Amino acid sequence: MTITLTNINSGYDGFSLKNISLTIEQGKFTALIGPNGCGKSTLLKTIGRIIKAKSGSVKIGDLNVLRERPKKVAQTIAYLPQNPEIPSAINVEQLVSYGRAPYQSVLGIKSARDVELVDEAIHLASINDLRKNNVAELSGGQRQRAFIAMALAQDTPYIMLDEPTTFLDIKYQYEVLDLIKKLTLKGHTCIVVLHDIAQAARYADNIVVMREGEIYAQGSPEEIVTQKMVQNVYDLDCLIHPDPITNTPIISPKLSN
Amino acid sequence: MSQSIKQQNTRPQWQADLYVYFRGRSFVIQVVLFILVIVASVWSLMVGAVSIPVQVTINTLFDLDGDQQKYIILKSRLPRVVLALLTGGALAISGAIIQAIIRNPLASPKIIGVNSGAALFACLMIILLPDIPASYLPLAACIGGILAALIIFFATFGRNLSGVHLALVGIAVGFICESGVDYILVALPTHEIATPLVWLTGSFWGRSWTHVYAVWLPLCTMAAVGLTMAYRLDILHLGAETATGLGLNVQVQRLALLLIATLLASISVGVAGVLGFVGLMAPHIARRLVGGNHRLVLPTSALVGMLLVVMADGAGRAIFPPIEISAGILTAIFGAPFFIYIMLTSAKD
Repeated sequence: MTITLTNINSGYDGFSLKNISLTIEQGKFTALIGPNGCGKSTLLKTIGRIIKAKSGSVKIGDLNVLRERPKKVAQTIAYLPQNPEIPSAINVEQLVSYGRAPYQSVLGIKSARDVELVDEAIHLASINDLRKNNVAELSGGQRQRAFIAMALAQDTPYIMLDEPTTFLDIKYQYEVLDLIKKLTLKGHTCIVVLHDIAQAARYADNIVVMREGEIYAQGSPEEIVTQKMVQNVYDLDCLIHPDPITNTPIISPKLSN
Repeated sequence: MSQSIKQQNTRPQWQADLYVYFRGRSFVIQVVLFILVIVASVWSLMVGAVSIPVQVTINTLFDLDGDQQKYIILKSRLPRVVLALLTGGALAISGAIIQAIIRNPLASPKIIGVNSGAALFACLMIILLPDIPASYLPLAACIGGILAALIIFFATFGRNLSGVHLALVGIAVGFICESGVDYILVALPTHEIATPLVWLTGSFWGRSWTHVYAVWLPLCTMAAVGLTMAYRLDILHLGAETATGLGLNVQVQRLALLLIATLLASISVGVAGVLGFVGLMAPHIARRLVGGNHRLVLPTSALVGMLLVVMADGAGRAIFPPIEISAGILTAIFGAPFFIYIMLTSAKD
């Protein structure tokens, strides 16, 4: 089902999302892009109810996300923050199994299904060799995959990731993006905040561009990534040309003088 | 994803998990700690101004021997040992909860103002209400501890009860209370200083069954509630955003757990005085022994706390009988070097 946002107002003291209405298609890779402070992370957190919207509604089919029980929301949407805090003395398998918390009682007793889904998530994220490794000792790329596996174990139709490629070496950035692409091919709806316009254009089915707390544009990468958009949103004069491998748009800034 | 649940293994998952736990290292560590706690408790019954042989001690406990030693063991030493076990365990669980929520290795019950608030109220009672018997000291201390913690919670509630703010406000409130204590100690006539001073160092001197009856039920209840919420601590330890994403109402859970930790620490500090170091040290030792899973950390750290305090109380009586050294002083003296050793040998964190 599509995610439908209607007249959302949200945000912190000094910053706000203004009257946002938006639909996000099911089973697609949607990238949120925009300059720093444009509100893309806030929008993601508002959809996942990590922060409370001041007004408006978020609906997924019949599910009223802003009014639903927290556990029910967590069974529908998995959210991975930009800098998840690293737990001490926890191994990868334990971390991934926390993804099952929305389905468990206070005591956190596992069911056979929990074990099965944790296994599946670990294999999907290709971290089977790291199962018994301490999360705090992993490299950046490994750690990001472990956290994505935790979100996968949550077994939700919707997965939201806040800048999952930031702080990663370039090879790991593409590994993580490939993994997310794989998830959408398996039927998950992924909403991902990305910093890099070319990466968004290469991987996403849909791009939502934000500027100063508002939606600037939404559409396919070819429609969205234009000289005019980059000029208006990022205040950068550039040329757009196709990626020699994927034919998706990439930008080359013109020299400033 | 696949719908069928594998049926070959008919044992439910929790039984399989329990089996793994009983075969594992953590279980062995907990059993060893448990045995050490028993041994230390019996030893603590034997030592003091009158030392009593093992055989006689055990016979007395099981009502086999005559009433010669009965008075010393059952009336004087046993309640102290029971109190040491209760408060050691409670402070350790309290510390483990606070460290998990604040996500700071330096956190302990001290950081939510419990120790200093309790100390201030105890001293205030001694100077303002000199006619009230000293047996009410624990009550005053307990109230002071809870009040200080509440001030800190209210000051930080709007800020998500997050680590740094809580710690900073806690330290500030702690300073205020401590200056109050210092003022009172300086202002008191010399002969009246002894009571608050002995209490401030943390001691089981003169504690009786009355004290045990007063605190066992709330301490055991709070500890049990804390233990059942251990998994929530695992989730909270992932940080507020991740925990919210996993369906936890972070504000409510943090507040509930901090209240449990506050009650555990305030009651303990009330009855035994400021045994500050246990709440900091026991959870660290426990995490080094069994890892970061709080369902293992909480019970293990309770056992470590019990062991530390029982040994400190026993040693306090054994070193220079008939003079006693406060348990609080000895937990710090014995615990600190071990603690430093653990910190130096741990590679990370």
